[in-house]
Amino acid sequence: MITIAGLPRGVLDIPELIIPAGRVAVIGPNGGGKTTLLRLLAGLDLPPGGEILVDGLPPRSREVGWVGESPAREMIFNRVSDEIASPLRFRHDPCPLVDERVKEIATELGIGGLLGRETGDLSAGERTMVALGAALASRPDILILDETDSNLDQESSGRVEGLLRRISCPHILFSTQRMELAGRSDHVLFMEKGRVLHSGSPGAVFPALAGTPFFPPSWRYL
Amino acid sequence: MRIVLTDLVLRRGSFQLAASGTFSEGVHLVTGPVGSGKSTLSLALAGELRPVSGRITEEEIGSRTLSLASPECHVTGDTLENEVVSWKLSPPPVLEAAGLTGRGSEDPLRCSQGELKRLVLSCILAREGDLLILDEPYSALDCAWKEEFSRRIGERRKGITLVFTHEDEVLPRVDEIWEIREGRLVSLGRVPGAITGWSRPPRYLRAALDKGIIPENITPGDARDALCRTRG
Repeated sequence: MITIAGLPRGVLDIPELIIPAGRVAVIGPNGGGKTTLLRLLAGLDLPPGGEILVDGLPPRSREVGWVGESPAREMIFNRVSDEIASPLRFRHDPCPLVDERVKEIATELGIGGLLGRETGDLSAGERTMVALGAALASRPDILILDETDSNLDQESSGRVEGLLRRISCPHILFSTQRMELAGRSDHVLFMEKGRVLHSGSPGAVFPALAGTPFFPPSWRYL
Repeated sequence: MRIVLTDLVLRRGSFQLAASGTFSEGVHLVTGPVGSGKSTLSLALAGELRPVSGRITEEEIGSRTLSLASPECHVTGDTLENEVVSWKLSPPPVLEAAGLTGRGSEDPLRCSQGELKRLVLSCILAREGDLLILDEPYSALDCAWKEEFSRRIGERRKGITLVFTHEDEVLPRVDEIWEIREGRLVSLGRVPGAITGWSRPPRYLRAALDKGIIPENITPGDARDALCRTRG
């Protein structure tokens, strides 16, 4: 469980929030505060006051995996295999274990063929998959994807969704503009103007968004 | 007005794409999975990538504009207002069209990707150029703005508009569909006939096609209308 309490009013206006474990979709219009919230939950930014706890500990005391919207800008190594291995090498895991884990995660993501390639030669979607591999390599307690799927097609997005269902990471939070995907998550947060206006299961949240572009297309027409 | 691709071969690194065909006046959807070569083709059509062989012939095209997937690549102005001026446009109506009224003095690079995308697309559409090459125009936009720009793109009746995208929840009204399959550009022809040949249609269109119904066009509204007609 993730708990947020006592955040001072500022960019976000979230006095109190409980986010259950599972796959949590964060949705809402551009500029609504999704990235700000996700950065706080990842420990990339610290709240100016109040408390954020991930299963009882602050985010910076947890293993965090993060993939942003433009993975190309977040990559530090030229070779795909080095990029995926980076979080494990930074914590000085033994080389044989690192190699094994890199192969394992690449196979799971279906990007085994990319391991020897240069990250600069990859398409935007391929880079996203590599960034996801790097984020998952260290088996994070909390995995955060900030509109990462905006560079993925239906098929790749489906592959990532399947993977997120299989991995044992207790907290997966992803912001997305794919409402179909959000409709298949465990929990939805709808944010607008820095506030969480709706929080609950898709079946509870989306009826409140009927008639808006945030209602999943297939729920509208089918 | 048209663009003719003759035995075109493009290469970026180890990737190769072959393309032949004619883009005539209207809105064209060019689709294909991630990494299939959509950006490669869009760069070549914009004159930014030299073909390995074959040629691109433009007929009666006075102006062409490329919209890149990452909007920050377009930024040349130090404020949103100056960014609009750099497109030789008057700021107030464009800022309003982008939902950024009152923010003209802000630094473009401090805006969110979605806000910047709205600004760039609004500038490009306001210029009403002959040839618009839109590479992933929907990336970074929220659902409401995806619908809004879909409407604006679909309403463009003059010139040639090429929409390169893998978007699968919101698409504009188009005249023709093209698909990139295994390194080759394939023409599926004019809508609605083209819809049946589409190997990866969006879920909402597939729902209609599975029932044997061919929507008139490819917007979510067309799928809804087709399904409602059948139910009625």
